[in-house]
Amino acid sequence: MDRNKISKWLKEPDKMSGKYSLWALYFCTGCGIIEVPPVLTSRWDAERFGVIPVATPRQANLFLITGYVSVKTLRAIIRSYEQMPEPKYVVGFGSCPINGGMYWDSYNTIKHLDKYIPVDGWIAGCPPRPEAIFVAVTHLWTLIDKGMAKGYVKYREKYELYRRNQEKVLGTLEWPPLFPIKDDGK
Amino acid sequence: MVIKLIALPLIAFVIGIFFLGLFRKITARIHRRYGPPLTQPVIDIIKLFYQKSVSHGRLFDFGIIVSLAGSLAVILFLPFAGICPLESSGGLLVIAYLLLFAPLGIALSGGEAANPNISIGISRKLILSLGYEVPLILILLAVMTHYKTISIAQIVSMQQKTGWAVFSAPLFLSGISYILILPAMLGVRPFDIASAPQEISSGVKVEYGGKFLALATIEHAFHLFIGISLFVNLFLGGGNVFVFFLKMIFVFIAGVFVHSVFPRFRTEQAVKYLWGWPALIALLGLVLAVTVK
Amino acid sequence: MTLKILLLTAFGGAFVTYFLGKVSSKLRNYFAVFVSLTLFVAVACLYGKSAENFSYFKFFGNTLVLRVNSLSWFFAAAVSAFGALSVIFSLDYMKGKENLDFYYMMMLLVNAAMLGIVFAADLVSFFVFWEIMSWSTFLLISYSGKNALPAGIKYIVMSLIGSMAMFFGILSIYVNFHTLIISEIARGIVSASSGYKIFILVLFGVTFGIKSAVMPLHTWLPDAYTESPTPFSAVLSGMLTRMGVYGFLLFFYVVAGASFFFDIDAGISKFNYILCWLGAITIVIPTFIAMLQNDAKKLLAWHGIGQGGYMILGIAFGTSLGLAGGILHTLNYSICIVLLFMSVGAVEYRCGGVRDLNSLGGLIKKMPVAFAGALLGISGLIGLPLTNSFVSKWLIYKTLILKSHPFLAFAALIGTWGTILSVYKFLHNNFLGELPEKYENIRKSPVSMQIPIIILSSAILLFGILPGIPLKVINTIITSFGFNSLNVNLWGIASETGTLNTINIFTAILIAGSVIWMLFRVGKKSFPVTQDDNYAAGAYVPAGKYNYTADFYAPLFKIVKPYLMDFADKFFGWLCRVFTGFSEGVRKIYAGDVGYYVLYILFFAALLFFVQSGGKSW
Repeated sequence: MDRNKISKWLKEPDKMSGKYSLWALYFCTGCGIIEVPPVLTSRWDAERFGVIPVATPRQANLFLITGYVSVKTLRAIIRSYEQMPEPKYVVGFGSCPINGGMYWDSYNTIKHLDKYIPVDGWIAGCPPRPEAIFVAVTHLWTLIDKGMAKGYVKYREKYELYRRNQEKVLGTLEWPPLFPIKDDGK
Repeated sequence: MVIKLIALPLIAFVIGIFFLGLFRKITARIHRRYGPPLTQPVIDIIKLFYQKSVSHGRLFDFGIIVSLAGSLAVILFLPFAGICPLESSGGLLVIAYLLLFAPLGIALSGGEAANPNISIGISRKLILSLGYEVPLILILLAVMTHYKTISIAQIVSMQQKTGWAVFSAPLFLSGISYILILPAMLGVRPFDIASAPQEISSGVKVEYGGKFLALATIEHAFHLFIGISLFVNLFLGGGNVFVFFLKMIFVFIAGVFVHSVFPRFRTEQAVKYLWGWPALIALLGLVLAVTVK
Repeated sequence: MTLKILLLTAFGGAFVTYFLGKVSSKLRNYFAVFVSLTLFVAVACLYGKSAENFSYFKFFGNTLVLRVNSLSWFFAAAVSAFGALSVIFSLDYMKGKENLDFYYMMMLLVNAAMLGIVFAADLVSFFVFWEIMSWSTFLLISYSGKNALPAGIKYIVMSLIGSMAMFFGILSIYVNFHTLIISEIARGIVSASSGYKIFILVLFGVTFGIKSAVMPLHTWLPDAYTESPTPFSAVLSGMLTRMGVYGFLLFFYVVAGASFFFDIDAGISKFNYILCWLGAITIVIPTFIAMLQNDAKKLLAWHGIGQGGYMILGIAFGTSLGLAGGILHTLNYSICIVLLFMSVGAVEYRCGGVRDLNSLGGLIKKMPVAFAGALLGISGLIGLPLTNSFVSKWLIYKTLILKSHPFLAFAALIGTWGTILSVYKFLHNNFLGELPEKYENIRKSPVSMQIPIIILSSAILLFGILPGIPLKVINTIITSFGFNSLNVNLWGIASETGTLNTINIFTAILIAGSVIWMLFRVGKKSFPVTQDDNYAAGAYVPAGKYNYTADFYAPLFKIVKPYLMDFADKFFGWLCRVFTGFSEGVRKIYAGDVGYYVLYILFFAALLFFVQSGGKSW
């Protein structure tokens, strides 16, 4: 560790620790998840970056949306995202969450994930190589460093908008709003 | 006295956290990975303290505090290399009972969250603890009967005169049995049924996030320290700070080796194993300790 | 003289309560509480007094006498305290039930009879009070009819067998020593033969064994505890069953004498070791059976048997430490189990009589006081440090280990771990987990239930942190038995083979707790969420379906269930059927036809004639 890093640790322990300890939610959303096991296990070893899979959203701070998002999955994704503790980061993995990908004309998939939850970064590809996850992680580090990975703040501030978008697709949601809604948008 | 009281938990904390790091590093190396840095648990804990968390109620907060406080209290009663600030307060029996605070606290805390994964985790944890307590009690009784004392400090000092208990004729069977149940006590694989992340979403910790998880991690570190240091005290004859630490590392690494190559038992398989050979050997060990003077 | 007045108040109060009930139910309730509290105060005032032989009545030329000493004071204080608390608890619990005048009279009568037992100094009054207790208990157990009636009958049959054994013993003692006063018998028995002593001890042992539910004689207890009204279950488990322990103490250490008691050889082994092993079996098997129970009260009832084993073990082992542990555990256990029954009662009262552990859950937010009581109660039963039972169990374990009886100690320790499993199930299934929708609107337990629960909870902590308070009294008891005095101080026991210092443990946990609490406060403030906001694999929690209570220890049951049958109960059931069949056969003699009876008379006359003639007429 150089001196620069130590002074950073002392100045901003929250950012530094958040950077080097990204716990990913073990959530299989689509075909992209097939690329994740090699990343976590012996071949690519994500643990050396501090990335480990955890079993519940309560413990996670990194959400990988690995693949296409059907309407049914979206419900679970929103629920899990809301249960993750702040600060939390979302990375869309593959083309499908970005713009629908090969399912661009499907009646049952979500075309733009960032309408429903804030996404901090995207990995393009169909599906991307495992190495791309490391590129994403290191890129996320820079974003965190610069204070640009603020998706969760955006979600808090624009919650009404997100909630309205969610309800447009999913109908009425069973769970109460995460943040107080001042104006119900009607 | 006061210095000891402050120093001992700190030592335990450092060693426990070091063990957690070593645990991940060695497992990684056995998997032919590079593995995280040794300081990774520290980074994790710092991060967890900066994270927000949810609380399901007062008992949810209270339980985790009780759990960690119980472990911390055990450390004060457990000699580490002859440092034992509260040795004359009930001995091994008090330690055996104080060990209950940790699982009970976590169980209470989880109980308020109304998540069935937690209930299943608790149920598994209690069953497992009943499983390994049968041989463990036999082992502790053999040790206490042989040395005719319930004070753990005296047991250590007697071993320093007569040699390690695990190599002494009346106690070697008990020592073997202890080694057989040590993975179950530490909760490492094949006995990580209580916190199985793939089956029950890490069991009792499923609703923990942020500082709750940080405290639970520290509790886990303390638990590793206690389980191993108890073994070193009872069977490997203590020693000075350096020797004691070396012995602990040795036992710990053996545990990690077991952890990284085994899959997980089912609950009843674990109990059947624990009530089989380890209990039998422990029973023979107790008979040996009673008969051989 | 004060004892006479005290007992008169106790019995008189019971009957007056009945007649007051005819006037006004409110008056009756207040009077019952008043009487029971007066008794407690009166008994408490007797502290430290020791007086022998107040004669109060003549009976066939024998004077009936009362006495008070540290042993009887200890039990009397506990009896009157638990009695008063249960009467207070009854106020709301029994509201609206029928036959309440009778109920309160019986509650007070049981109380009075138990006071009589502990103050009795001769065997006739002992026996009479014992019978009053047994019969009024029977009436209270079968109070609610239906299922309660067989339970009551089971109790009274076993109790009668015990009473007969005792009666037989008393007659034999009277024939041999021509006195019934306990202190005189104790003097006389020294010269008796060893075989006779064993005979007497076994006879009385059966009586007290049945009462305190030692393992093969325990079968009445689970049903009786379950079926009786909950406040009475508390009395039943708290003190009434422990009258057996008092009897053991009285006969082993006062009548037979300690020095003698350990010298008897009963065939292979010593008499007291046999009792020790019975105690050990009584600890292990019931605690494991308790795990299988789904009825909250039945689960506690099996613990009532199991924890009794510790007392028997401590008392029968009979060193100063073990004896102190045994007696102390009697008190400690009683506090815990009364508290637990009261918590169950509070839940039962609010949830409309439901005790089934599979259909409750999540009541902690609705009934915090009952939860706190249950939590402290189970901690006490387990013997967690800083609760009262820890001290008594520690004393028992320590004696067993240091006297090189590790197998007995193993039974005792493994019983504790069995206890943890079953009582945690009790706590979890009642109070933790998800709240079923139908209990959404229940209210807190009423004040009359909260008061006893709070008092008992604080007693658990008080005696756990400062065990010297009861140990001091117990020390005088064991010195009066002729044992060495213990080195008791307020926070535990000092001895050369290992010291107990509860203050150390308390401070350690307190400091550790506050350090952790500060650490907890340093972290970001947590965000409160409702019970429904749970991780459910991305789904929203389905209301009322997200609870895990049924088959709580399923994997363990698969292994242990085949071995955990109540063989004693099966055996007694079989015995019962054999007797019924036999009696049925005898009944056939009375065929109800005059012709048969004439035939019987003729046969009998012929037999007489045959005997008279000495068979010569052949």
